[in-house]
Amino acid sequence: MWFLFPALLINLLIILIPALLTVAMAFVSWDGTSDPVFAGFDNFRAMFADPVFSSALLNNVKWTALFLTVPIIMGLVAASLLLMVRKGRTFFQIVYFLPAIIATVVIARVWQGMIYNPDGGLIGWLHIFGFHLDDPLAHPSTALLAVASVDLWHWWGFMAVIFFAAFRQVDRAQIEAARLDGAGYFQLMRYILLPAIRPTIVLMMIMTVIWSFLAFDFVYVLTQGGPAFSSEVLSTLSYRYAFYNFTMGPAAAVALVISLFGLVATIFYVRVQQQELES
Amino acid sequence: MKSRAVVVKSCVTASRRMALICAMLSVLVPATATSAFAGDPISLWYQRGATPDQQRILQKDLVDPFNAANPGSPLTLDVRAGGSGDKQIRMAVLAGRGPDLVMTPGPSYALPLIESGHLLPLDAYIQKYHLDQRILAPALKAGIYKGHIYVLPRTFETMVLYYNKTLFEKNGWQPPKTLADLNKLAAAMQAKGITPFSVGNGDWRDANEWHVTVVLNHFAGPDNVYKALKGELPWTAPVFQQAIGLLNDWYQKGWFGKDYFSLTSDQQALRLAKGEAGMAPNGTFSFDFMTKAFAQTGQELGVVALPSLRDGVPYPTYEIGIGSTLSINKSSSNPDAAAAFLNYLYSDAFYDKISKDWPGDWNLPLTSVDATKLEKNVSPLFANTVTSFSKGVRDGNYGYTTWTYWPPATEDYLIRGIEQVWLGKITVNQYLQTMQDTFAKELKDGKVPPLPPR
Repeated sequence: MWFLFPALLINLLIILIPALLTVAMAFVSWDGTSDPVFAGFDNFRAMFADPVFSSALLNNVKWTALFLTVPIIMGLVAASLLLMVRKGRTFFQIVYFLPAIIATVVIARVWQGMIYNPDGGLIGWLHIFGFHLDDPLAHPSTALLAVASVDLWHWWGFMAVIFFAAFRQVDRAQIEAARLDGAGYFQLMRYILLPAIRPTIVLMMIMTVIWSFLAFDFVYVLTQGGPAFSSEVLSTLSYRYAFYNFTMGPAAAVALVISLFGLVATIFYVRVQQQELES
Repeated sequence: MKSRAVVVKSCVTASRRMALICAMLSVLVPATATSAFAGDPISLWYQRGATPDQQRILQKDLVDPFNAANPGSPLTLDVRAGGSGDKQIRMAVLAGRGPDLVMTPGPSYALPLIESGHLLPLDAYIQKYHLDQRILAPALKAGIYKGHIYVLPRTFETMVLYYNKTLFEKNGWQPPKTLADLNKLAAAMQAKGITPFSVGNGDWRDANEWHVTVVLNHFAGPDNVYKALKGELPWTAPVFQQAIGLLNDWYQKGWFGKDYFSLTSDQQALRLAKGEAGMAPNGTFSFDFMTKAFAQTGQELGVVALPSLRDGVPYPTYEIGIGSTLSINKSSSNPDAAAAFLNYLYSDAFYDKISKDWPGDWNLPLTSVDATKLEKNVSPLFANTVTSFSKGVRDGNYGYTTWTYWPPATEDYLIRGIEQVWLGKITVNQYLQTMQDTFAKELKDGKVPPLPPR
């Protein structure tokens, strides 16, 4: 048991104490400099009364729905194709994984300036040929999707590499037997590969839920939640409360809401794990 | 730093090899370290971000001359990213650490640091170096808190109207002085397919507040803005409704073009320089962008004061912007050296250098600013703009920029909420009501920066 202590100590110092302080901060009125004053549930009332909070929460739900489907499907398809390819497999893995290792600020600026921009980007270039597309970051109806698309491009390759590693653990005998029985690609996926890597898929989906509610960097760099709060998410809202408005209480209250979703996802994962162990 | 004598003496009892090393090291100790502020080196975290060229200018004009004159307490300059530098400085100072010279984006950012006792009052240093005679009074007074001065204004900026002079001359247009002139000019421009205002917030979302600042000061008027900032007039008053309504009108009529949310600063300047747009309400801090863009196209840049948008609002009026302040950290181990740096910063010697290399952003509010002197280093256009601004302020024709005089949450809502008005999500009345509610709370909590009397 003693070998668990170093990890526990790190958890205590870096995670538990700051988490408890955040919980406490959600119940005080504090600007970060003066003395905190107990405020009861005022911060939560102010948070729920802010119309931007409900639209930010909805944006996070939309973000989660998008990331639970598109990159996972793309990752599974790409991983299954990698399984079938012998030559060039390493090359494709590198190509798929590259966006995941580039700094998010760099990716965001490249998309903002070189792709979406109507003057200097790909969209601006298409104008020359008569294709008058608008900058999707500039419209409330498309801003969130435009930001999410950048993150999707950045993220799906990571999923592909994770799923490929999982596929490689599947017993080759099962795959060969299925092929000998005449199974096609879709039957192979449905009856052999996907069931075999189900724990990995479930884990990635749960992590996706947690990470979706933590989404911050692309939104902050590309739109800062605009235009007109249309791409605001909970983490950018919390950041704004804390570092623009200097109201730490509401910022902590929003952070607790984010954590709540993460907690629900974690409990679900632990239950699934327990059920699998028991079975 | 120890003197040479002390270093050699401490090595006398060491081994021969150590003695040799000590002797070699002692050569590196300056023969004299007689600066009046000899002590710890001092630091400045430059929080606005700077391109590599700008960093070279800072090193050449700001750091090297000061260090040459003060070798005992050299300045270390640390350039931080523009979007997060102020937050890093705030966290460090609140933790009792941070740089000796504290740079903030304005008085409202410095206020919490003053109230929590993290900044030194500067009165004694101001007296010692006669800074009150060298810095314009309205700008200096923005740093007063409970009778003491804690912050000095680093940038002295205002909103002006840039315009394409070549385009104007070609079409026989005159820069506008009234709302009627502006309406007529904008209609003429749109008839020719020219966008009236080259503006955007693609790389700086806070650019929204420049336009709110313009209508509040040039339509509602500085007197009304002053009353509202003192809590004597609500932001929902009819004059402010009309002011924001006018701004919304400009947006709806297409005066801002269709790419407002995409255009970056250099793209806005280039569209103006090419004649695709006719005018650009922007800050004096953008002078550098504008001159570079016009140098590319060969057309001529013009700069005038913004028009009076309502009868009774004087022309010209210049809203005072202090986009950056400097203070001394209470935890500084060498405040005297930090004050000596401020003395150098507010000198004609430094202003001569920086106004030549980096006009616009480093416009210090010096009383000695004079068109004739300035023209030796900068374009007549910049010299005239700056001296007109200084004269306007001295004459009392000044207003208030939102980034200097508004409290933080109100300013944040002002920036983001106006987009909701432009995009039809909320009405002007709803926007101003939320602004009023937020402002009233911050006024009650003491977060509105102190306003010197008009």
